[in-house]
Amino acid sequence: MLDIRDLTKSFGKGDSTVTALHEVSFTIAEGEFFTLLGPSGCGKTTLLRLIAGFEPPSGGALVLDGQDIAQMPPNRRPVNTVFQNYALFPHMTVAQNVGFALGAQGRPKDEIARTVARMLDLVQLGHLAHRKSGELSGGQQQRVALARALAPKPRILLLDEPLSALDMKLRKEMQVELKRLQQETGLTFIFVTHDQEEALTMSDRIAVMSGGRIQQIATPRELYDQPANRFVAGFIGESNFLDASCAHGKLVLPQAGAPLPVTHPDGPVTLMVRPEHVFLGPAPGAGLSVPARVERLVYFGTDTHVHLMLADGAGLVARVQNALRGGAPCAEGDAISITLPADALRLLPKEAA
Amino acid sequence: MATDVETLAIRADTRRRWALALPAVTIIGLFSILPLGVVVVYSFLTPGDYGNVKWVFSLDGWFQVLFERDIFDDTVSLSDAHLTILGRSVALSLATTLITLILGVPTAWFIATRPAGQRAFWLFLITIPFWTNLLVRTIAVQEMIRNEGIFNRLFQWLGLIDDPIPMMFTNFAILLGMAYVFLPLMVLPVYAAIERFDFRLAEAGYDLYASRVYCLRKVVLPQVKAGIIAGSILVFVPSLGAYVTPRIMGGGKTMMLGNLIETQFGQGRNWPLGAALSLALTALVLVALVWYTRLTTKERRNG
Amino acid sequence: MARRSFDIRRLPGAATLAITCFVILYIPLVILVVNSLNAGKAINVWEGISLRWYATALQNEGFLNAASTSLILAATAALVATVTATMAALATTRSKGFRGEGTINLVLNQPLMVPEIVLAIALLIILAQVKQVTGYTGLWYLIIAHSAFCIPFAYMPVRARLQGMDLTLETAASDLYASRFYTFRKVTLPLLAPAVLAGFMLAFVVSLDDVVISEFLKSPGQDTLPTYLLGQLRRNLTSEIYAISSLLLLISVLIVAGSWLLTRKKT
Repeated sequence: MLDIRDLTKSFGKGDSTVTALHEVSFTIAEGEFFTLLGPSGCGKTTLLRLIAGFEPPSGGALVLDGQDIAQMPPNRRPVNTVFQNYALFPHMTVAQNVGFALGAQGRPKDEIARTVARMLDLVQLGHLAHRKSGELSGGQQQRVALARALAPKPRILLLDEPLSALDMKLRKEMQVELKRLQQETGLTFIFVTHDQEEALTMSDRIAVMSGGRIQQIATPRELYDQPANRFVAGFIGESNFLDASCAHGKLVLPQAGAPLPVTHPDGPVTLMVRPEHVFLGPAPGAGLSVPARVERLVYFGTDTHVHLMLADGAGLVARVQNALRGGAPCAEGDAISITLPADALRLLPKEAA
Repeated sequence: MATDVETLAIRADTRRRWALALPAVTIIGLFSILPLGVVVVYSFLTPGDYGNVKWVFSLDGWFQVLFERDIFDDTVSLSDAHLTILGRSVALSLATTLITLILGVPTAWFIATRPAGQRAFWLFLITIPFWTNLLVRTIAVQEMIRNEGIFNRLFQWLGLIDDPIPMMFTNFAILLGMAYVFLPLMVLPVYAAIERFDFRLAEAGYDLYASRVYCLRKVVLPQVKAGIIAGSILVFVPSLGAYVTPRIMGGGKTMMLGNLIETQFGQGRNWPLGAALSLALTALVLVALVWYTRLTTKERRNG
Repeated sequence: MARRSFDIRRLPGAATLAITCFVILYIPLVILVVNSLNAGKAINVWEGISLRWYATALQNEGFLNAASTSLILAATAALVATVTATMAALATTRSKGFRGEGTINLVLNQPLMVPEIVLAIALLIILAQVKQVTGYTGLWYLIIAHSAFCIPFAYMPVRARLQGMDLTLETAASDLYASRFYTFRKVTLPLLAPAVLAGFMLAFVVSLDDVVISEFLKSPGQDTLPTYLLGQLRRNLTSEIYAISSLLLLISVLIVAGSWLLTRKKT
């Protein structure tokens, strides 16, 4: 439904030009919960503002339902935003805030009243309709902002880090609430966040962004299990990276004993393995067996992080669940052998440091 | 890379902004800047026989600001009358600033250190005279010191004096009047600066072994200095150009620059000289303002 | 020996000087009001309390004319100044900088940089000739001249408010299908209203306060309250002058009290 083609945005002129978005292209499907995830300055908010129409793109097209909306002003686009600081109108009541868009569209009063009532029911705020927005708690303001953006029935709802101002507990509640709203309304959501957990738990698909470029677009599971590159692997979850190389159908890790057969073109690679997959001691099945020294044990409640050092000084972290076998089967200073199981290893293209 | 569309958008935005500002700019342009330009032109013309000017170029107006030419032997000397008035204007303005500083800064401090709930009341007391008509306040001070005024009558009743001390129409009268009417102008900006001051910083100073005086000098003063300077400028600048208060308190005998300027524009007087004096006064004010701006921008850069 | 307070807020002498300051500020005003209540004809002889001089003033045509001129002048000039200054403030805020921004700001603050007497003389020179050429001697010269020096005072609060205003509110409005005009009417203007009101009041008081420019520019029969008072003062001090002064004092008390009540409600 929303087709983004070679969308580019640069700020400034001449030598001081900064390109915030480099020819980004992808498609979002009807009813999808789509998340733009990345560190601050990665271009995710710029992309959202381009979709909303707050900034004109420097190049490319934004095709919504077959129509290019790239040059359309924001008040003509069937797209609404939930702002990071909510941007509720402080001089209006909750009901006036929610009814604002319908008033701007010149809808009849009774229709506005009905829609406002329905929207406030949807976010469970009917009892606060006549309060001023300044008198509400953060969570309530959040719900008003949602109701306000949903009231004019947009084709797409844009959410710009809407949960970042809430405390941890409220944020978890709102995550569930948002997902419920999205499923109930069947609307397309584009959600911007820098919080990977938020992204993984709510999204149908996630676009990981960095440096104004899309690094990978995939489902949460694919992102975690099959990261496309070192950035994605490092940004989503925790990862160990080791330098290795492929030669003649074999993966060679200098510190390990026997090489592992792989199907990968020859050349240097970055070997990635998640800490929970690192196995202390010999393991059943195929894998790389590596001698290591236990540097430090860090207790985390549900699990223990075992910091390991390989022969050449490279570091590695293994995570052992404390529920299993009473925690880590080793002590600081031990020389042990660890196994990196073959099915948990990911080979990523080696990038210049 | 700014595209043509963006350049056009920027131009349209600039045009829209200028259009919005145009009415205000036009009013000030026609009723403040243009007249000032005419004054500049007039200062280089020859005085007319019955006031006004003759359109003949002359530097006499400017020359006469500080000098005078003897009617008989054409010798040039410094104009005592003008120098006295100029000196009086600057001296009285400085003295006014000093008096308002001495009274105003402690008052601002006092208000700013009241409990938050009481501050409004004390500020209210300062704002009433601040908003009261300048002429009314001048009349009120005049009432204090005129020959039959409260001071003289009080002194006579106490038997300190037999005849009233003539205080009106003196430098003292003008100074008293100006200090009285401009006092609120000092208190308000100084108060704003002290109110912004975080008194926990002073506690931090004490904690680091500073004495009260050291703390005031090194911790408090640098933070409230901007307010004190602002207050001083707000008092000094209108004092220098004061007209109403010196006219009433000085009675046309003891003049300040503003009154001297006015006298040049009566019938048969010297308009070019008046114009030159006006510009000289404006220049003095601008010097003070530029000095202030440079001082505050430097503060901001350092702070 | 009493322990010396370590609280820097309690500076020795500050309270004394402050109270002195308040006494100095108020004694002349109190004496002015007391004098205005004198029942006697001679100003230097106290003959008891009466409102007769207020009654005299309120029957005095010269005073009443001056009062109505002042009111019309201050209200109109403040209105013109506030409307134009608000437009100008909208033009000079919330931009990434545009060509001429500095010039506009300089022009709008220019009246503050010139002493009143100089502006009065300058206007006198030019308007005397305009009056001769056009033959029009109405109040509009004074209204526009007052607007000119009131604009900076109306401009300041509105500009400050605009600079502190959250830009995302307008962005949000445009996101919610509001046109530029609808956004201005429903979002920007209501949020700006307190500052516009403050600007108007400031301009009104500044206009009402002016003596010099009105004195130099007025056509015959165009006395404002301050110039009327100045004219009376030239003759003789009378209890009526005290009564008129006290009335002006009352107006400022009412304005200050009114604006305090207004801001109180907001917070």
